[in-house]
Amino acid sequence: MSIMAYNGGCVVAMKGKECVAIATDLRFGLQAQTIDTNFEKVFPVNKHMYLGLAGLQTDIITVYKRLMFRKNLYEIRENRVMQPERFAAMLSSFLYEHRFGPYFIEPVIAGLDPKTFKPFICNMDLIGCANMPDDFVVAGTCEEQLFGMCETLWRENMEPDDLFETISQAMLNAFDRDAISGWGAKVYIIEKDKVTIRKLKTRMD
Amino acid sequence: MASERYSFSLTTFSPSGKLVQIEYALAAVSAGASTVGIKSANGIVFATENKQKSLLYDENSMHKIENITDNIGMVYSGMGPDYRLLVRQARKIAQNYYMIYNESIPTSQLVQRIAGVMQEYTQSGGVRPFGVSLLICGMEPCPTSNKMIPLLFQCDPSGAYFAWKATAMGKNSVNGKTFLEKRYSDDLELDDAAHIAILTLKESFEGQMNETNIEVGICDANGFRRLDPATVKDYLANIP
Amino acid sequence: MALNDILKHMPSVGDMLSDYKSTEEMDFINLSQNKVLSAPPYSNPVENLAKLHENNDNIKINFDHGTTTLGFIYQGGVVLAVDSRATGGQYIGSQSVRKVVEINDLLLGTLAGGAADCTYWYRVLTSECRLYELRNKKKISLAAATKIMNNIIYSYKNSGLSMGMILAGGDMNQVSLYYLDSDGTRTMGKVFSVGSGSIFAYGVLDSGYKWELTDEQAYELGRRSIYHATHRDAYSGGTVRVYHVKKDGWNLISEEDCLDLHRRYEAEKKK
Repeated sequence: MSIMAYNGGCVVAMKGKECVAIATDLRFGLQAQTIDTNFEKVFPVNKHMYLGLAGLQTDIITVYKRLMFRKNLYEIRENRVMQPERFAAMLSSFLYEHRFGPYFIEPVIAGLDPKTFKPFICNMDLIGCANMPDDFVVAGTCEEQLFGMCETLWRENMEPDDLFETISQAMLNAFDRDAISGWGAKVYIIEKDKVTIRKLKTRMD
Repeated sequence: MASERYSFSLTTFSPSGKLVQIEYALAAVSAGASTVGIKSANGIVFATENKQKSLLYDENSMHKIENITDNIGMVYSGMGPDYRLLVRQARKIAQNYYMIYNESIPTSQLVQRIAGVMQEYTQSGGVRPFGVSLLICGMEPCPTSNKMIPLLFQCDPSGAYFAWKATAMGKNSVNGKTFLEKRYSDDLELDDAAHIAILTLKESFEGQMNETNIEVGICDANGFRRLDPATVKDYLANIP
Repeated sequence: MALNDILKHMPSVGDMLSDYKSTEEMDFINLSQNKVLSAPPYSNPVENLAKLHENNDNIKINFDHGTTTLGFIYQGGVVLAVDSRATGGQYIGSQSVRKVVEINDLLLGTLAGGAADCTYWYRVLTSECRLYELRNKKKISLAAATKIMNNIIYSYKNSGLSMGMILAGGDMNQVSLYYLDSDGTRTMGKVFSVGSGSIFAYGVLDSGYKWELTDEQAYELGRRSIYHATHRDAYSGGTVRVYHVKKDGWNLISEEDCLDLHRRYEAEKKK
């Protein structure tokens, strides 16, 4: 079994019209055994940016903390808010630093540019190869299922409400076909002037 | 001299609280060739003396004004070899920043980090301070709007740095600053600034000024560049 | 010939095959002798299969392993309860598997381990039980049925079968409960749970079990045990099915989706 699937879990992010969405499941398990059903894999980075991390739980927490250390240092040293592009570049080089002993995580970034509010999404492999498509990014143990759902449900220029429905359905139906993801979900819709956070009720088996 | 007793270690305070080596470094700067920098509404100008001691020098292959990135320029008064080391460091810092963030380094960041390097040489063992003062300029987007704003910094051997509207360093810098205070205004255009910079140099210039014994650098929305001698000649033609 | 089939439950795979001569003939053996499977492409599978797996993890067949099943006897008979999830690795292949096999009007068996192994041998067992009825003009006892199954399984011991079964049914005018598995275990008992979720099911089952349970209490205990197992075990889930077995036959008591059960139990917790 892959170490990436030891704890289970998944993250997905999507672009909409002047908004982005990111969603996470809530399971934390040790292989087949479900330990916690309230483990969020999406973290706030700043006002308009969230970071999702799928993979090994211990590394998820470490990577998030180390990234916040670097990001806070940047923001305080340069007296400006970090743009998603900069954050992605920083994360990429951080992951490649550990090329020969990597953190077992797959990151997903979703955010709006702090000045222009242009939507941004991005994902990477565990050693920092970034991918910035126009539609959606997925990560985690039900990656294939998420790709399938997103590929069929995603449309261009979705309004926030529409985007919420789409990302929720994509995630729910994807992890219902994965034994080690699910047990609840949380969705973040990021808009220019507000972030809407909703918890979804899902199957608990 | 009493203070020389405290020069056994280059980085030890004298009883009066001075690091005399820094003062000596500043003296080296003051003895160096004049350099002028002026910020205008849409860019920055550097001008500096580059007098050669012999006719045999090839004046086109060594330069005092250097690019650090496409948008950032640097010039100095003081010791040339020390300056070239700092240019190398600055370029390395800038590229390192670009590698991490995929964005060119903001001028203020570069200045801070170069100042950090210079400070280290006032506190480390077995080293001496740099014998140069730097001028560093760059254009960068305003943090609140998309307008490009010009920035001009001076960086001293102590590691202290200052943001200027206009300044002069090196030989006759006091006279140069007085001259600039009279001529400077906030609504200068880039061409006016270049004109004033050359005039300021000329105030204290010994001998005939021409396109081979001064250097001019310009930073605007297109980036930083050193002017070629032909362009410098055109500027000189407008000067009485 | 027919009697011989019953009495001679395959002493070993090799002995069975030695009666037949050509390989062409052997290709069709299974049609008439459904307890005979084609041999793997190497000699002495009982010894060599283990050797093959020793150095080669990646040739292990990745079939359905995750399950939670349980059965227990109480004063009112036997309750069997199962989940309905089938997984291949971490992928959920189905949420609607029927893991209780209805062998006949009196006998039920649960299915855990390799899905294909279980379903196939249950089909064989079903036919054997029916043949017994036709030959003897009476229903087969649970003891006899489990013994047939056990003999078959034992003859294939160490060949790679993976099964864990709980069988329940009327036996000599009383209800009994057996546990069988692919190691060759056959044991009678009061409380069994089998599958990846069994440890979780046992937690609930053991703390709530007593002989004097009423029917409703027994159903609820089975249901709750499976529900909690589906909650904790990633490889169990779907719907919870509860069966009640009595001397005169069995009944399907309930089939409930885990999501509905979760909502109900959560609401009860809040009260």
